[in-house]
Amino acid sequence: MLRFILRRLASGVVLIVVISTVAFALLYVGSGDIARRILGQTATADTVAQKAASLGLNRPLYVQYGDWLSHAVTGNLGISWFTGQPVMAAITSRVAVTLSLVIGATLISAIVAVVLGVWAARRRSWPDRLVQVISVLGFAIPGFLIALGLVLVFAINLHWFKPTGFVQFATSPSGWLASITLPVIALAIGGIAGVTQQIRGSVIDALRQDYVRTLRSRGLSANRVIYKHVLRNAGGPALAVLAVQFVGLLGGAVIVEQIFAIPGLGQVAVTATTQGDVPLVMGLVVVTAIIVVVVNLLIDLLQAFLNPKVRLS
Amino acid sequence: MAAVAVVVALGLTGCAAGNSDTSSTGGSGGTLNLGQIITVSTFAAAQSNWANESPYMQAVYDTILTADTTGAIQPGLATAWKYNADNTVLTLTIRSDVKFTDGTALDASAVAQNLVRFRDGAGPNASYLANMTDAVATDPTTVTMTLKAPDPAMLTYLSQNAGLVEAPSAFTSPDIQTVPVGSGPYILDTADTVVGTSYVFTKNPSYWNPTNQHYDKIVMSVFSDPTALLNAVKGGQVNATNTLNNTDLAQMTGAGFTANPLELNWAGLTLMDRNGTVDPALKDVRVRQAINYAFDTSSMLKTIENGLGTTTSQVFPANSVGYDPSLDSEYTFNVAKAKQLLADAGYANGVTIQMPSSALLGQATLTLIQQQLADVGITVEYTDPGNSFIADVVGGKFPAVYIPLQQGGDWELIQFLISPTAPFNAFHTTDDTVNGYIATIQKGGSDSDQAVKDLNKYLVDNAWFAPWYRTQSNFVTDANTTAVVQPGNAVPYLWNIKPKA
Repeated sequence: MLRFILRRLASGVVLIVVISTVAFALLYVGSGDIARRILGQTATADTVAQKAASLGLNRPLYVQYGDWLSHAVTGNLGISWFTGQPVMAAITSRVAVTLSLVIGATLISAIVAVVLGVWAARRRSWPDRLVQVISVLGFAIPGFLIALGLVLVFAINLHWFKPTGFVQFATSPSGWLASITLPVIALAIGGIAGVTQQIRGSVIDALRQDYVRTLRSRGLSANRVIYKHVLRNAGGPALAVLAVQFVGLLGGAVIVEQIFAIPGLGQVAVTATTQGDVPLVMGLVVVTAIIVVVVNLLIDLLQAFLNPKVRLS
Repeated sequence: MAAVAVVVALGLTGCAAGNSDTSSTGGSGGTLNLGQIITVSTFAAAQSNWANESPYMQAVYDTILTADTTGAIQPGLATAWKYNADNTVLTLTIRSDVKFTDGTALDASAVAQNLVRFRDGAGPNASYLANMTDAVATDPTTVTMTLKAPDPAMLTYLSQNAGLVEAPSAFTSPDIQTVPVGSGPYILDTADTVVGTSYVFTKNPSYWNPTNQHYDKIVMSVFSDPTALLNAVKGGQVNATNTLNNTDLAQMTGAGFTANPLELNWAGLTLMDRNGTVDPALKDVRVRQAINYAFDTSSMLKTIENGLGTTTSQVFPANSVGYDPSLDSEYTFNVAKAKQLLADAGYANGVTIQMPSSALLGQATLTLIQQQLADVGITVEYTDPGNSFIADVVGGKFPAVYIPLQQGGDWELIQFLISPTAPFNAFHTTDDTVNGYIATIQKGGSDSDQAVKDLNKYLVDNAWFAPWYRTQSNFVTDANTTAVVQPGNAVPYLWNIKPKA
């Protein structure tokens, strides 16, 4: 197990270095006159040249990358060109906000999907058809439309929630819960649709297996068969889907954070990318890659825990 | 339960981010919730921006001079100012009762150091002080600025970001870009501020001019997305805000907000290649005039801006001494006349113009330009320079460009659009007549106003530009808040946003 973890971590480090190298090259190739973009249309050519020199943009690209990498490995990701804030501070102040949305949405997806998927698989008939219709709708309706609908109904018309903004837990636990409720729901609906279908299919397949018939013949209750044995076997594929969705939700959070004006990674990613804030974008790329690597590792470990048949080596 | 516990735990870790509740408390003298459409690029005075960023800076800094709501210059940190006979030496008398929030006294030396730092700071508006040879504190309350040549806009610059005064103790601070140390009416609460998203300011208890402190606390929240801004307005989360477009204005006023209109920008084409360097056809004034006649500006105003604005043929704003109302209708839509002018210029078979495009400019507008010019025989071929848009435009890669541009004061406009070194005179067109007017305006005196008028008329007659309209932007305020717009600035000055009496 330890060897597996170390191997996965090593491959993760290689992956992060490759991603950062490619991202750095792509950002600079498409970034145009960076100093001009920072200073805007009113700056003179002299000022633009002075700014470029002060940022070290007149150096060869490989020198700039080497400089960035040597600082990055020490945890210094540079300073945002457009806000003057250290990139590490910009990310750490926002990563928890985004993760609270994404993990909240993932957990709600998992719980609701298990309930719906098992219900549909056991009952079949109209509950199955209803769940399938709900799943298709969840897939078909874009997340941003769901978000806008939630704001319109529950914030603007009913005034149950604030339409925008984020409240820290320390400031007000109830305010915090209220501020993330609509965004988490908006993010979760698409996930529920996907995982429900996966669980439904896996449970139906598992229920046809011989071991289920054997367990039933031994007098085990239906619930015990389902929740202790069937779900363990059916959970593997569903976990894989959840892992993919977790990564997808990091992307989905971009739009939801924009709509709800939530200060998370998605919001800052949109702004930084639009502006061409290379240090901040690079920091976001690295942090996102780290999150993806860690999440995939955790899912692999969870798979092994749920199903010992999964051989980690 | 496990799910809830994990989410709660993450929320707890998120506490370190130090964000704030953006709930509105109303503009009753307690808290002003101010919507901002952009974040502040830096709090370092020497690299600062202005326009939509001015409220951030005015919260924490004072300026050497100020401007009232007519644009007239008023005292700020300087109580008096005086030019020498040839307008090349400006003497400023600095207040002696002002302290920075770090407790140090603000004196003439601090002011002079800030001026030199702004000139040398490689900020977006460093050119404002490029004409300044030096700034010296001749005594604790006197600053002497020496200029290479007269600068008619210098006093205006000193009422904007060039006049911001930061505590010298902050000059070497590693946090200079995010932790301002000024003498302004408010202090940035860095613990409750999330950089790029929401900025919290608390009242400076020892501020020298409390009449400009209308609130105990100001929260500036950034809404770069139009939908989020509209929802914040409808949900009562802001007391006042600039708007990102005119499309949502009806819904905002429907939600009980008052629109405070301001004509800040002009929209149209800048016909830069008047020398014919890239496109020989544009050297002929008749071609440039034909382009002016080709646009149905009234329809474009209705289509693109919901009719909010004023059609015009001049780039000088209505508050300029050079403004001539009759020039607003100098080129009225006339396809036949446009075609005739092209034929007279030898282009009866048409002209092709290369122009830059960008998704940020709006595809519908770019298509309208293409269609309207095609109707008179001018073909527009677009190239998207991507992130190099501005660099390519001011670098002279395109003979003409569509981009809404700020009007500003007369001298700023001349330096931005018209003078041979202006960024948007990309081909450095020189013209003895234009240069003569500019020289007269720079010198100041009784002939200056007439020279601005003559320059404006000359530019319209010679079709240096093809303006369509002055766009109306709107700053909206709720029922508890009032604001007076600032001529030449994107948003009202901070002290002009007040609780309604």
